[in-house]
Amino acid sequence: MRKFFGTSVVAVSAAAMLALAGCGSGRDGDSSSSGDAAKGFAANSLIGVALPAKTSENWVLAGDLFSNGLKEAGFQADVQYAGASTTVADQQAQITAMTTKGAKVIVIGATDAAQLATQVAAAHAAGAKVIAYDRLITNTPDLDYYVAFDNFKVGQLQGQALLDGMKAKKPNGPYNIELFSGSPDDNNAGVFFNGAMDVLKPEIDKGNVVVASGQKDVKQTAIQGWKAEGAQARMDQLLTSTYGSKELDGVLSPNDTLARAILTSVKGAGKPVPVVTGQDSEVESVKSIVKGEQYMTINKDTRNLVKETINMVKALQAGDKPQVNDTESYNNGSKVVDTYLLPPVAVTKANAAEAYANDPKLAPLTK
Amino acid sequence: MSRIKDLQKNLFGGTTSNARQFGMIFTLVAIVLIFQIWTNGLTLRSDNLIALFQQNSYILILAIGMLMVIVAGHIDLSVGSVAAFTGILVAKSMTEWDLPWPAAIVFGLAIGAVIGAWQGFWVAYVGVPAFIVTLAGMLLFRGGNQFIGNAQSIPVPEGFREIGSGFLPEFGPNTGYNNATLLLGLAAAVAVVWREIQARKTRRAMDADPVPMWISILRMAVMVGVIAFAALRFASGRVGTSFPISGIILVALVIAYSFYTRNTAGGRHIYAVGGNSRAAELSGVKLKRVNFFVMMNMSVLAALAGMIFVARSQASGPQDGNGWELDAIAAVFIGGAAVAGGIGTISGSIVGGLVMAVLNNGLQLQGVGTDKVQIIKGLVLLLAVAIDVYNKSQGRFSIIGSLMRPFRRDDSVPPASPPDAEREPAKAAVSG
Amino acid sequence: MSDVPILLEMRSITKEFPGVKALSDVNLVVRAGEIHAICGENGAGKSTLMKVLSGVYPHGTYDGKIIYQGSESKFSDIRASENAGIVIIHQELALIPGMSIAENIFLGNEPRKRGAIDWKAANRMALDLMARVGLEEDPDTLIKDIGVGKQQLVEIAKAFAKDVKLLILDEPTAALNEADSRHLLDLLRGFRSRGITSIMISHKLNEIEAIADQITILRDGRTVETLDVKADGVDEDRIVRGMVGRELSSRFPDHTPKIGEVFFEVRNWNVRHPISADRQVCKNESFVVRRGEIVGFAGLMGAGRTELAMSVFGRSYGVYESGTIIKDGKEIVLKSVADAIDNGLAYVSEDRKALGLNLLDDIKTSTVAAKLSKISHHGVLNEVEEYQAAEAYRKELRTKAPTVDEGVSKLSGGNQQKVVLAKWMFSDPDLLILDEPTRGIDVGAKYEIYGIIQRLADQGKGVVVISSELPELIGLCDRIYTVFEGAITGEIARADANPETLMKQMTSTKKLATR
Repeated sequence: MRKFFGTSVVAVSAAAMLALAGCGSGRDGDSSSSGDAAKGFAANSLIGVALPAKTSENWVLAGDLFSNGLKEAGFQADVQYAGASTTVADQQAQITAMTTKGAKVIVIGATDAAQLATQVAAAHAAGAKVIAYDRLITNTPDLDYYVAFDNFKVGQLQGQALLDGMKAKKPNGPYNIELFSGSPDDNNAGVFFNGAMDVLKPEIDKGNVVVASGQKDVKQTAIQGWKAEGAQARMDQLLTSTYGSKELDGVLSPNDTLARAILTSVKGAGKPVPVVTGQDSEVESVKSIVKGEQYMTINKDTRNLVKETINMVKALQAGDKPQVNDTESYNNGSKVVDTYLLPPVAVTKANAAEAYANDPKLAPLTK
Repeated sequence: MSRIKDLQKNLFGGTTSNARQFGMIFTLVAIVLIFQIWTNGLTLRSDNLIALFQQNSYILILAIGMLMVIVAGHIDLSVGSVAAFTGILVAKSMTEWDLPWPAAIVFGLAIGAVIGAWQGFWVAYVGVPAFIVTLAGMLLFRGGNQFIGNAQSIPVPEGFREIGSGFLPEFGPNTGYNNATLLLGLAAAVAVVWREIQARKTRRAMDADPVPMWISILRMAVMVGVIAFAALRFASGRVGTSFPISGIILVALVIAYSFYTRNTAGGRHIYAVGGNSRAAELSGVKLKRVNFFVMMNMSVLAALAGMIFVARSQASGPQDGNGWELDAIAAVFIGGAAVAGGIGTISGSIVGGLVMAVLNNGLQLQGVGTDKVQIIKGLVLLLAVAIDVYNKSQGRFSIIGSLMRPFRRDDSVPPASPPDAEREPAKAAVSG
Repeated sequence: MSDVPILLEMRSITKEFPGVKALSDVNLVVRAGEIHAICGENGAGKSTLMKVLSGVYPHGTYDGKIIYQGSESKFSDIRASENAGIVIIHQELALIPGMSIAENIFLGNEPRKRGAIDWKAANRMALDLMARVGLEEDPDTLIKDIGVGKQQLVEIAKAFAKDVKLLILDEPTAALNEADSRHLLDLLRGFRSRGITSIMISHKLNEIEAIADQITILRDGRTVETLDVKADGVDEDRIVRGMVGRELSSRFPDHTPKIGEVFFEVRNWNVRHPISADRQVCKNESFVVRRGEIVGFAGLMGAGRTELAMSVFGRSYGVYESGTIIKDGKEIVLKSVADAIDNGLAYVSEDRKALGLNLLDDIKTSTVAAKLSKISHHGVLNEVEEYQAAEAYRKELRTKAPTVDEGVSKLSGGNQQKVVLAKWMFSDPDLLILDEPTRGIDVGAKYEIYGIIQRLADQGKGVVVISSELPELIGLCDRIYTVFEGAITGEIARADANPETLMKQMTSTKKLATR
C-alpha cells in the first residue's frame, strides 16, 4: 500500500506540474478592462455583429451590408445570426464568442432586448464597446450607444397613412379598422404601436374610426416573434368573428411581413382589400404597393442605418466620440443611452419611384 | 495479455457501455484539441471555458434528468416549456410579489415538483405514454408561460442572478489565481486519488484480477492532470470570475445523481424498469412509484434549469426553453443511452452534452453561422448513434481496439516481463 | 431408406462468429419425404445450422456447401430460401396478434387482383390451407383470440401458402400442451405420407423417438452422428448419450424427501380475469405445502395454474376476490409483489426472458435484483457484497459463465434459468413457486435443476412446481395437484401418480375423493 501511495504521489504531482507548465501564468484580462477607451484601437480589429434569426429580408440585407461595409473600412467582420428556434441562447453564445475572440466593438440587433445584459456586461468588461442596433438593449448600464430609426415617428407615419388611405377610398367615416402590433419581446413593437395610436386615438375617441373587434390593447394585438403565420391566423379569426357582414376599411400593421400575411388572409376570405400599412420596404411589399394592394410601407433605408453604425465604429477606432443626436429619450432601465436617430420616410404608390430611386433592388420595381 | 488489452480493459472499465463512454470521451478530447488548434488557442482560454460552462450548465442539468427518464423507457418533451413556465413565475414572484430570491428558488423548485407530480400521475398511474403526456405538457406550459408573462420579458433582481451568472468570491492571499477555484480543484484531485484507492480495495475484496498498478497510476495521473489543468484555467480568468456557480451546481448534481443511479436500490430500480418492466415488477419493484419519480424528478430539474437560464439572462423571456428538450435528448443519446431504455449513464450523457457544447462553441468562435452549426450537430447526432448501432450489430465495441488494431499484430507476442508495478509506467509509453 | 433420393445435403458447414466457432464441419443429409430430427443440447448449434440453411446467414458468411434438390444453393436471404420451398417455423411464432388468420397466412404474399388484395380469394384459399392442417376456425378470427396450439397451425398453414417442400420446425411443441402436441405430431405424420419433408428440432426426446425417421445429433457445433430410428433401434437413452456424450443413468437425481409440517396454506382462493370481469380464473382453490416438500401442479395449458401462482404471489395477476393465505399458522395478506417477497415467497416465472430477467443486466445484477435490501445499507448498495453473493451462487449452481460480470443475454437457456433460480434463492424464500422450470432447457441442465430443487426442499423450504411435462412431475414431486379450468380437481401422492390418472383428472371437473 505504501509503495502504491509513493508512486501515485509522484505521478500525480508530475501530472499537476505538467498541467501548470502548460497553462502559462496568472490571470489575464486585468489590463484590458482598465484600458483607456479614448485612445481607440487598431484599424484592422475584429468587429462583431450579432443579429436576430433570418426571419425578415431586412436582417439578411443588414448582415450583408455590415460584412461588406466593415471590410471596406479595413476591419475584420464577424456577422452572426441567431438560430431559428433557440434564438436567445444562440445570440448569448455568439456575443460571448465575439468577446472571447477580442472584438473591439460588438453591434447587437437583439432578439430579446431584456435577456442580453450578462453578455453585454462581459463584453464591456473585456474592453469592447457595445452598440445596440435598431433595438434597445434594456436593463444594462454597460450599453454604450444606440442607433435606430425614430420608431415613434414610424408609428405616427403609419397611423397617418392609414387615415389618409381610408379617406382617399371613402370620403366619410366611420371607418372600421383592426390593429396589429409586433412581438412583445421587441422593445420597438410598443414604440411603433404607441406612435400609431398617438395619431389614431383622437379619431377613435371621436368615433370617426372604430376598432370593430374591440381588440385595442397591445396584449391582444401583439404577434409573437413577428411571425407571419401568427398574423394570418389572427386576421382569419377577426374576419370570422367580426366581419361577417361588416366592411373592413383598414388594418394597422407594424411591418411588411405581417401586412402581407394580413392581405393573404383577407383575400383568402374573399373580402375587398382594405388599407394596410407596413414597414421595412420589403421587395414583395413594394411589388404589392405598386400593384395597389398594400397601401403603404416605411422606408427605413437599412443602408443608412448600417452606414451610421459603421461611422460610429470608425469614430471609436480613431478614439473620437461618435456622433449622437439624442441623449435624453432612450432610458433602458439602467441608464440613458446615447442615441443616433434616423428619420423614416412613408412610402405609398404615389411616391414610390422617388423614394426608392437610389435603391438598386427596389428602384426597378417602381417603374 | 498485452498491455494494450490491459489498458483497454481497465482504464475505463471493460464493459461495452463503458467502452462506448470512453469512445465519447475520446471524441470530446479530439474535438477540443481540433478546435484549440483551429481557433489559435481560444477554445481552452479561461474566459471561453467559463462561458462554455455557463452557457451549457442548464442543458446538462436537463440531460441528467432526461437520462433517467430515457433509461426508464420514457421521454420528456416538455422540459423546455416547464423551464420557461417556472422561469416566468419565479421572475414574477420576485418583481411583483417581492419574494426574496432564496425563497423564489424554493418556490421555483416547488413549481417543478407540482408539474412533475402532474405529469408523473398521468404516466405512472393512468398509463398514458410519456410521449403524449409531455407533448401535452409542452403545449400546456408554453401557453402558461405566455399567459402569465403576456409574452413579455420580466427582469430578475441582482441576488437571483448569481445562480446563473455568478462566480465564487475572491479571498485570501493574491496568488494570481482565484483561490476558491484552486481549493475546489485540490479537493477534486484528492477525491480522485481516494476513489482510486477505494476502487482497488473493492477489487481486492471481490478477489477479481487486480488492475495492474501502472494502470491505476496512469489513470490517476491523467485525471489529476486534467483536474489541475482545468482548475488553473478556471482560476486564471479575469478578476472577479472563477469556476461559475452554475457549473458548481451542475457538478454537485452530477455527483449526486451518478451516485444515486449507480449505487442505490432506487437507481437500480430505474434501470430494471427500463430493461424489462414486467420482470422488474415480478421482482418486487414498485413500477408506478419509479415511473412517477423519474417524471417528477425531470420536471424539478427542468425548473432548476429554467431558473439558471433566467438568472443568466437576467430576465425571463417568452423564448426561454425553446428547443431545450431536443438538446437534452441529443446529449443523452450521444452519451450512449438506448432508445428502448435500460441503458445509459449520467456521465455518458454529460460527455455527450459537452461534445455538442464544444462543437457549438468552437464553430461559433470560427464564425460559422447557426444554420451550418445546426446541420453539423444533426449529423454528429446521427453519426454517433449510427456508430453505436453498427457496433452493436457487430458484437463488440472498442474504439481503442479499433485504433490499436494496426499495432496489435506486431504485438501478438507479449513482452515476457513480470508484472512489476514499479517498472511498468516507463514501459507503458513504449507499448502504448 | 438409402434408395430414397436426397432432398438436401449440407456439407462441411462451418460458421464463425467473432471469437466463437458456432459450427464446425457439420454435415446433414435429409432424404425426401422423411421426418428428420436434429437433437443437441442448447448451444450445440442447431439453430445456427437452420439459420444457415434458411438464408438468415447468407451465402458467403459461412464455409461449406448446401446442395438442395440436386444443385448447389446460395441463398442470399430468407426470401430466396422460401422461394425454393424451404420454410422455417420458429419457436417464437411470427404472427401478428391483431390481424386475422387469413391476413396472417397471406402476410407479404397476398393474392392480388388488379393491384388490390383479393380478400374473397384469400379467405377461400385460407380455408383450404386451414383444412390441410386441421384447423377449424373462421379465417376472420383474430390471432390473439385463438390458443397457442392453433396459432402453431396457422404458422404451418402459412408455410403451405408458400408452396413448401421442406418444412423446418424449431421446438414446435415447446409451448403446446399434451393434446395439442399429439395433434401436431399426427399432422406431421400426415405430411410425411403426402411426401412433404420435415426437419424438426426438439428437446422432447419421447416425441422424437415416436415420430422421427432419422436423427442427426449435434454437440458443441459438430455432427456427432446420424441415427436411423428403425434400423438402429434408437430409444431416448441412446439419444441422450449422443447429446451429452456420456450415459445419464437416470433422468432424476436420487432423493429421499424430508417432509415436515404444513406451513403454507391457501384457502378458498377466488380470482377474476383482469379484463373480462365475469371470467373466474381461480375457482375456490385450496392447497397446502409442507416444509421440505415438492408439490406439483399438473394441468393443461390454460387450466389456470400460472394464474393461481401469480395471484398468490402478491396479486400479480387478475383481480383478487376472496381467499386467505396462511403461513406458519398466521394469516398473511399479500397486496403486492414486495409484500410477497417480504413474507418469504418467490415465484420463478414460466417465461424467463419476458418475465424473469432483464436481458440487459449481468449475472450479479440479476442475482440480487429481488432483494436489494440484503446488500444495501441505508439504501446504498455494497458492490463487494453483491459480487460475493453472485459469485457464491454461480459456484453453487454451477452456472457456466466466465465471471458474474457476464451479461445474462449471452448465457444459454439452462444457465439463464440458473441465474433466475439464484435470484430467488438469494431472496431467502420459505416457499418457491417454479413455473415450468425446465422449459426449453436441455437434458443435462434439467438434471442439474432437478438437483437444485431437491436441495432447496431439503433445506426445509416448500417448493411448488408447475409443469406441462407429466414425467417431470411424476419423477420430481412428492405430491401432485391437478388443475382443470381454474379449479383443483385432484390430489395424488407420489406413489399413486402415473400419467394415466393424472391425465384423467386434468381433463375432468369431477373431483376425486382425496385420500
